[in-house]
Amino acid sequence: MEKHQYHIQSYCRIRGCAIQINGKPFFNLVPSVPIGDFLKSAYRHLNIDYPKFHKMDGLCKAIFIAVELMALESGPYQRDTALIFSNRSSSHLSDSRHATGIFDTINPVASPSTFVYTLPNIAMGEISIRHQLQSENVFFIFDSYLPEFLVPFTASMLEDGKAGSVLCGWTEITAETCDLLLYHVGISTGPLHNVEQLKRLYNEEDE
Amino acid sequence: MKDDVFIVGDEAITPLGLGSQLNFRHVVDGHTAVTEISDLQLADQPIYAARIDEAHWVGNIKDEHRYTRLEKLFILVLASLIAEYEIPLDERTLVVLATTKGNVSLLHNPLRTFAEERVHISTMTNEIQRYFGFKSQIIPLSNACISGSLAISVARRLLQYDTRYKRAIVIGGDELSKFIVSGFHAFQALADGHCRPFDRDRKGLNLGEAVAAVYLSKIPTNDAVWIAGVGSHNDANHISGPSRTGEGLYQSIQEAMQEAGEPALDFISAHGTATSYNDEMEAIALQRSGLSTTPLHSLKAYYGHTLGASGLLETILGIHSLKNNRLIPSRGFMHQGTSQRLNMITKSTQLPLNSFLKTASGFGGCNIATIFQKV
Repeated sequence: MEKHQYHIQSYCRIRGCAIQINGKPFFNLVPSVPIGDFLKSAYRHLNIDYPKFHKMDGLCKAIFIAVELMALESGPYQRDTALIFSNRSSSHLSDSRHATGIFDTINPVASPSTFVYTLPNIAMGEISIRHQLQSENVFFIFDSYLPEFLVPFTASMLEDGKAGSVLCGWTEITAETCDLLLYHVGISTGPLHNVEQLKRLYNEEDE
Repeated sequence: MKDDVFIVGDEAITPLGLGSQLNFRHVVDGHTAVTEISDLQLADQPIYAARIDEAHWVGNIKDEHRYTRLEKLFILVLASLIAEYEIPLDERTLVVLATTKGNVSLLHNPLRTFAEERVHISTMTNEIQRYFGFKSQIIPLSNACISGSLAISVARRLLQYDTRYKRAIVIGGDELSKFIVSGFHAFQALADGHCRPFDRDRKGLNLGEAVAAVYLSKIPTNDAVWIAGVGSHNDANHISGPSRTGEGLYQSIQEAMQEAGEPALDFISAHGTATSYNDEMEAIALQRSGLSTTPLHSLKAYYGHTLGASGLLETILGIHSLKNNRLIPSRGFMHQGTSQRLNMITKSTQLPLNSFLKTASGFGGCNIATIFQKV
């Protein structure tokens, strides 16, 4: 039923402590750096002023940086740019922090500023505010990166005419791992939007 | 032309019981599941909430001890739906599962009896997958309080565009936990009594729990309900507060109405959490949509806010409202309490009903509107 051919207008990969945009290195630190410190350094390297960044949890920060970099390549994003993200651990970083607080045996505490980040789609809210996207958002949870599902679903959203382009991908951020591949799918030029291509971009060796 | 997609079956378990028809009868009779609960495993202080009594459903599940409480609820509802509608479990059946927090009650909980790994939504889903032996992989999504409604939209779109699927089961569920209660308490969002959606004296929400499921098909049955239109838009305004102009919800309603062909709506099943900001935002979005005079209810005072299940549970009750040609009153409402007037349903009136609008909004600024019509 797919009538149109769509293209990957830009893509960003963050793995370990290395960030690539369209396959080219943007920023990296030695892999032993804690993820929080790495994301903070990467934000400084972006050279922008967005104080809300510092309130975000690790999932939101990593997604924020990737979406910011892609905007330089294939942005500015139109208002009807839909968001289709996926990962395995949902909002585990903030979930863990909230749960640690409430089960503390000496001083149990629940903080609203942590609790608000205990939903994975909050990251999509942050991106929508930053880039003024008033679009459809869906956050899927899978065992692993699943282009076999994401590709046809993204195409169906574009075919449906509900979105002009889509920011899509895999965003697995935990205390130990940073594994992100986001890409901007639309009708402009770029590599073809298909499962083989997206497997290749995900598995590409670092330069 | 896109294929039409219909809801041809439904099932739910709530504190009022197992069975969607049974739940409909309870709400038209004015029964509420919300009550005062004193349980230190949920909160240090008594709370008003709605909780399912586990004792009623033990014994129906194979190797029951292998599953968490929430997994058992999911299994119970799926087993009942599959048996009632004789749904094939082959690769042509898509399964979409909506939850905000899954097994989060296990996380760092000193009283947990399952491995902490089970806290992952995909791990939970795999257990359910194995129990039934579904041939196609269950698709889980987690999108705050619009998860249930959004899952219907996702399944509908896949049925329309992905030729692999002929039919779909859409299921949503969440359970009460200290994790959730402490968070909403920290937000000062919990009412200290029964919640009162859209009322002048509303003071916050009640939390609840439920699992609800619908069966989607491209082939309508005699009493099928057509999913006529869907719209979903982010406010792009604030991560934990609704837009003051109701922009995302307004756009969602516009899009759903346009797709459905601007039908006359017989009633609206609103989100209506009974927090001050949410209900005011909805009233503004509905006024902007020209729907201020359409009869409207919120079902939160019957069940509390059931999070990832709420969109599905409230859709199912709306469908039974259509089939029975009977409006469900908005429990807890007495005095107009929003800047824009709404036509609140206060009596369980019998009248011909053909279509309704279901809305939902959630943290992260997400909104969804869906229009359902009798075939």
